[in-house]
Amino acid sequence: MITGILFFDVMAVLVISTSIGMLVSRNAVYSALFLVLNFASVAVLYVTLGAPFIAMAQVTVYAGAIMILFLFVIMLLGAERLEGESTIRGQRLFGGLLAVILLGELTWMAVFQSGLSPAALTMPASDFAGPTQIGLTLFNTYLLPFEVTSFILLVAIIGAIILTKTDNIGKRIIRPGKD
Amino acid sequence: MFLSEIFSDPAFSLVPWVVFFPLAGIILNLIFSRRWEEKLTALTACLAAGGSFVISLLLMLALTHHPEGATITLLEWINTGSLQINWAFRVDTLSVTMMLVVSGVGTLIHIYAAGYMHYDVRINGDPSRYSRFFIFFNLFILAMMLLVSADNYLMLFVGWEGVGLCSYLLIGFWFEKGADGIANARAAKKAFLVNRIGDVGLLIALFLMFWNFGSLQFDTVFARAPEVAAATPAVLLAMTLFMLLGVAGKSAQLPLYVWLPDAMAGPTPVSALIHAATMVTAGVYLVARSHTLYSLVPAAQTTVVWLGALTALFAATIAVAQNDIKKVLAYSTISQLGFMVAAVGMGAFTAGLFHLTTHAFFKALLFLAAGSVILGMEDVRKLDETNLSDSFHHSHVDPQDMTLMGGLRRKMPVTFWVYLMGALALAGIAPLAGFFSKDEILAAASQNGLLVFLVLLAAAFLTAFYMGRQLWLVFFGKPRSENAENARENTALIVLPLILLAGLTVLGGLLNFPGSLALEGWLEHTLGKGINGEFNSMVAGISLIVSITGLVTAWFVYSRYSGEIKKLDPLEDMFGAVFIGARNKWYVDELYHAIIVRPLEGLSQQLAQPVDQGLIDGIAVGFGSLTKAIAQSWRSIENGFVRSYALALLLGIVLIFSYLVIR
Amino acid sequence: MPTVNDFLLILPEVVLLIWALLILLIDLWIPDTKKYYTAVLSAAGLVISAGCAFALLGRTGSAFSNMVVLDGFSSVLSILFLLSGLAAVALAYDYLKRNAAQRGEYYTLLLFSIAGMMLMASANDLIMVFLSLELLSIPLYILAGFFRPRLASEEAALKYFLLGAFSSAILLFGIAWIYGSTGHTDFPGIVASIDGGRANYLLLLIGAGLLLVGFGFKIGVFPFHMWVPDTYQGSPSSIGAFMTVATKAAGFAALLRVFLVLFPAEAPIMAGILWGLSAASMIFGNTVAIAQMNMKRLLAYSSIANAGYILMAFVPYGNPVIAQEAVSSALFYLLAYALTSFGAWAVMIALEPAESDGLLLQDFSGLGRKYPWLGAALLISMLSFIGVPLTMGFWGKFYLFKTAVDGSQIPLVLIGLLTSLVSAYYYLRIVMFAYFKPGEPQIQPGRWASVVAVICAAGIFVLSFIPTPVFQFAAQMIMGMK
Repeated sequence: MITGILFFDVMAVLVISTSIGMLVSRNAVYSALFLVLNFASVAVLYVTLGAPFIAMAQVTVYAGAIMILFLFVIMLLGAERLEGESTIRGQRLFGGLLAVILLGELTWMAVFQSGLSPAALTMPASDFAGPTQIGLTLFNTYLLPFEVTSFILLVAIIGAIILTKTDNIGKRIIRPGKD
Repeated sequence: MFLSEIFSDPAFSLVPWVVFFPLAGIILNLIFSRRWEEKLTALTACLAAGGSFVISLLLMLALTHHPEGATITLLEWINTGSLQINWAFRVDTLSVTMMLVVSGVGTLIHIYAAGYMHYDVRINGDPSRYSRFFIFFNLFILAMMLLVSADNYLMLFVGWEGVGLCSYLLIGFWFEKGADGIANARAAKKAFLVNRIGDVGLLIALFLMFWNFGSLQFDTVFARAPEVAAATPAVLLAMTLFMLLGVAGKSAQLPLYVWLPDAMAGPTPVSALIHAATMVTAGVYLVARSHTLYSLVPAAQTTVVWLGALTALFAATIAVAQNDIKKVLAYSTISQLGFMVAAVGMGAFTAGLFHLTTHAFFKALLFLAAGSVILGMEDVRKLDETNLSDSFHHSHVDPQDMTLMGGLRRKMPVTFWVYLMGALALAGIAPLAGFFSKDEILAAASQNGLLVFLVLLAAAFLTAFYMGRQLWLVFFGKPRSENAENARENTALIVLPLILLAGLTVLGGLLNFPGSLALEGWLEHTLGKGINGEFNSMVAGISLIVSITGLVTAWFVYSRYSGEIKKLDPLEDMFGAVFIGARNKWYVDELYHAIIVRPLEGLSQQLAQPVDQGLIDGIAVGFGSLTKAIAQSWRSIENGFVRSYALALLLGIVLIFSYLVIR
Repeated sequence: MPTVNDFLLILPEVVLLIWALLILLIDLWIPDTKKYYTAVLSAAGLVISAGCAFALLGRTGSAFSNMVVLDGFSSVLSILFLLSGLAAVALAYDYLKRNAAQRGEYYTLLLFSIAGMMLMASANDLIMVFLSLELLSIPLYILAGFFRPRLASEEAALKYFLLGAFSSAILLFGIAWIYGSTGHTDFPGIVASIDGGRANYLLLLIGAGLLLVGFGFKIGVFPFHMWVPDTYQGSPSSIGAFMTVATKAAGFAALLRVFLVLFPAEAPIMAGILWGLSAASMIFGNTVAIAQMNMKRLLAYSSIANAGYILMAFVPYGNPVIAQEAVSSALFYLLAYALTSFGAWAVMIALEPAESDGLLLQDFSGLGRKYPWLGAALLISMLSFIGVPLTMGFWGKFYLFKTAVDGSQIPLVLIGLLTSLVSAYYYLRIVMFAYFKPGEPQIQPGRWASVVAVICAAGIFVLSFIPTPVFQFAAQMIMGMK
C-alpha cells in the first residue's frame, strides 16, 4: 500500500514537473522533449491504474507519432529558439501569482473543505480498460462523440489547408462599380 | 388559430380585412409607387379603400341576419399580469355603421382626390408627392378602421392616435408653403398639440378605467360600471369628464376647437375626409360607444349636452363672418359636431349618429365642391397646356377668398347644383338629409330642456344664414375677379364623386325616415333604447321656418352685394364691432396666446437659462463627460496582447473562486 | 446499439453534416467564377435541415445512449441557428466576392459550425457538450482567419484560437471535477448521483465554477470578453455577424441547460457570481462602446452588454418558476437580438468596401437620405437595440426585466435600465450620422445584404405587434425541457 502511494507520488511529481518544464523552456526542442517525458509518465500512471492498453496507445500515438511530427516541424522551421522578451512589466509575476492563488483556492476547497474520502469513490471493473471493453464502449455508448470527433478532425484538416493555401485570395479585389 | 372560432355568420370573420386592405394599399404604394404612373398609384389606393367598403357592406348584410354581432380576436397582444389585451375586432351595428360611413365616404373622396391631387401637386410644384398623399390617405383609413372596429379602449386609442398622426401629416402636407413658408407647418403643429391636450385627457380616463375596472375591454368595463358607479361615483364622473376632454380635442369642441379652422391648410380632400366627415366624428363615436358609462353619470351627460350646444352656437357666429370658403365650412363643421355631441349627451344616440352620417355625406360634398370651386379659381387650363410644374406661375389671387368669387353659377353649373344641394341640406331644408337628422336632434332637445333647445335653434338659424351668404357670394352676382371670370368646370373624375355624394345627400334622410326609423332599430341592437327624437311636427315646422328665414335673410343682405373688391361686408355696416369680433373669431386665439402660451413661454424663458442650461445641463453634461472619460480609460484594458487577455481571463477565474471560498 | 430511431431524432444535424460533406466534394468542380452555386447549395442544405427541425418540433426523446436529447428547447434553438446560418450565407455571398475570397470552404465550415451549435443545444452529456463546443469553435477559428494574408484577419483568428483553446481547457478541467465528484459525465447519471447523495458537493461546485468560465467565454461576458472586439473586427464581417448571434446563442443554450439540469442546488451561490458577471458586462460593454468609432467594435461591445442583459434574467434560476420564465425570456431575447444584430451588421456589410476593417460611424453620414430603405433598417435596428417600443428589442428587454423583477433582482434591473440609457447615446449617435450629417455613402455591388437588412428590420417591427404569442410559443416549447 505504502509503496503504491510512494510510487504514485513520485510519478505525480514527475508529471507536474515535466509539464512545468515544457512551459518554461525557451528552447522549443526542449519543450517538445519535456512533453514526451510528460506523456510517458502519464502512460506509466495508466499502467498502475490497470489500463495497459490505454498506456500503450498513449505512448505510440502521442509520445511516438505526434511528438515526432512536432519535432520535425520545429526543426524544419528552425524555430528552436523562441525570440522576444517583450513581456509587459510585471505581467509574468502577476500571472504566476494568480496561478498560485487559484491553486491555493482549489486545494483549500477540494482537500480541506470537501471532506473527500477516497473510499467514497467507486472503483471500475478490473477489465474496464481492455481492448474489447474500450472498443465496445466506443462504438456503442460513445458512438456519437466518436463520430463528432471525426468531424472535428476533418474540420481541422480543412482549416490547415485553407490557412496555408493562399494562392487565390487577396489578388482580385473587386472595386466598387466594376462588378 | 384564433380565426377558427365559429361565428353565427361566416362573414364576420372577414372583419380584419377592413384594416388589411388599406395596409396592402400602403405597402404596394410604398414599394412600387416610384415606378408606377399616377393612375396606378391612385387606383391602388382607391381599391384599398373600396375593398374596405365592400367588406363593410358584407358585414352589414351579415348583421341584418345576426344583429347580435361578434367579436373576432385576431391576435393576442399584451398579456402581462392582470392586463390582457387582444387585437380584437368588434362587429356590431354601431361599429359597422361607422365603418360604412368611413369607407364609403372615404372611397368617394379617394376617387375625387385622384383627380384633385393631380392638379394640386402641380400647382404646388412637387408632383412626386402624389403617391405620398395616397399612402397617408390609406393610412388614415387604416387607423380610422382600427378606431371604430376596436374591441377595447387601448386598440381604440391606437386608432385614435393613428388618425391624429395622419391629420398632422396631411395638414402639413405642403409644410413648406403658406404665409412666410411656415404657416402650414404651424397649422399642423397646432392641430397636433391641441389634440395632445385632449389625448392626455383620454389617456388619464383609460388609466382610471384600468385602475378601477381592471380591464380595458368594452364588455368587461360596461359590465362592471354599475357597481363602480354605486361604490365610487366620483371616479366614474372623473373618468367620463377626462374622456370628454379627449372628445373636445378630437371633435373640435369648446375649448379645444381652435385647431380645426387652421387645419384647412391641408389639401381639400383632406379637409373633406378627415376634418369634416370622419376623424372629427371619432369623439361622437367614443361617447356613443361609452354610453353605458355616461348614462350612469347624469352630471357628465349635462356637461356633454351644454358643451355641444354652446359649441354649436359659438362656432356658427364665427362662421357668419368668414370670407375664406373653407373656413366657413370648417366653423360649420365645428358647429354641426356640437349638434352631434349635444345629441349623444342627451342620450339621443340614434339622432347623433344619424346626423353624423348625413353630415358626413353633405359636408364631404360641400368640401369637395369647394375644392372644385378652388380649382376653378386656379388657372388650371394653363397647367394643362404646359403640364410643367416649374413653368406654372402661381396666380396671386387667393383662390379661396369668397369676396373675389361671384357668378360661378354659370361657369361651373354642376358644381353649383351639388353645392346648392349640400348647402340646403346643411341649412336643414326638407326633404334633404340634413333636415331629418337635425330635426331629430332638435326634437330630443325640446324634451331635454327649453334653454338647450333655444340655443340649438339659434345655431340652426345662423347655419342657414351663413350658408345662404356663402351661396350668394360664390355663385350669384357678378364675377368679382379675373379668375372668377375665367373659371371653368372640372374633369369627370372630380365631378363624379360630387354627383354620387349629392345623391346620398338627397336620399340620406331615408336612413331614419320618420315612420320607418330603420337606423334606430338597427342601432338599438348595440346601444339599447335611448331617448328618441320622435318626429314632432311642431318642432319640425319651427326648425324649417327658422332655416328658411335664415336663407331669406341672407338673400336680403347679400343679393345687393355689388362685388366691388374689398368693399365692406354688408353685415359690417349693420353690426360694426360685433361683426369685426366674429370675423376675428372672437379673439379666442389671441386670448389663448395671452393667457396660456405667453405665460408658458415666459416661464420657459425664466427656467431655460439658470435651471435647465445651468443646473440640469450641467448635471447631464457632467455625467456624459464622466462616462466618456471612463469609457476612454477602460478602453485601454483592451490593449491587443493575447497574453493580457489570457491574464484577464485568469483574473476572472481567480475572482470567481475567491468568491466561492469566502462566500 | 444505435438504431435508426437514434439517427431520426438528430436528423437535422445528420442532414446538415452530410450535406456539408457533399458540398465539400461538389465544390471541387465548381469554378471560382460560379461560387454562386455553392452558396445556393448550402442555403438549400440549411433550409432542408430547418425543415427537418420543424418536422421534429414538439417531439421529445433522447438518442445515442443519452448523449443527446431532443426537446422543444433544442428544436427552437436549432431553427434559430439554421436561420442565422441562412443570414450568414446571404451576407457572405456578395461580401466574399467583393473581397475576392470566394471559396466553397466558407460554406462548408459554416455548416459544420452550425451542426456543432445544434448538437450543443441538445447535448445531454458533458463529453458531448465539450465536443460540440469544439465542432462549433474550430470552424469559426478558421473562418475568422478566412482573409488570411490580411493581417487583421490572421490576428483575429489567432487570438480567438489561443483564447478559445485556453477556455476549452478550463471547460474540460471543470468536466473532470464533475466527473470526479459524481463518477458520471451523462446528465441523468450526474443528477442521479447528486440526488442519491453520492456526489461531493464542493467538487461539484468547483466544476460548476469552471464550466461557467468556459461558457462565459463563448457568450462573451465580462471579464471573459477580451477576444470579442478584436475578433469581430478582424474577421470577415459576415462571420462577425454570425458569431455575435449564433455563437452567443449556442453558449447560452449550453449554459442554460447545464445549469438548470445539473446545478439547481448550487443556485444560491452561483447567483452571486452570475449577478457580478451580468452587472459587469452591462456596465463595461455599454460604457466602452461609447468610445468606439468603428462600427464593428461598437457592435462587439454592444454584444457584450447584451450578454449581460440575458444573464440578468438567469440570476435567480434556483427558483423553478423563475427558471421557466428566464429560459423563455432568454429565448425571446435571443430572437429579438438575432433580428436586431443581423439588421445592423447587414446595413454595414451592404456599405462596406473591400479590404476594410469595418466602417467608421462617419461613413454612415447621409445614409438616410440616399438610401431610405437601408437607413430605415439601420434606424429600426438601433431603436431595437436601445429597447424603444414598437420594436422587438423593447419586448425582449421587457420580458428580461420582468423576469428579473419577479426574481427580486431590483438592483440588477436598475443597472440594466441605467445602462440602457447610456447605450442610447452610442446607438443614437449612429442614427444621428445616418440622418443628420451630410455625406455620400456608396452601396456596394450585390443586394443580398440589403435584403437581409430590410427583412430583419421588418421582422423587428412586425413581430413587435404580437410579442405575446411569440413569447408563449417559447414558453410552450421549453415546457418539456428537463
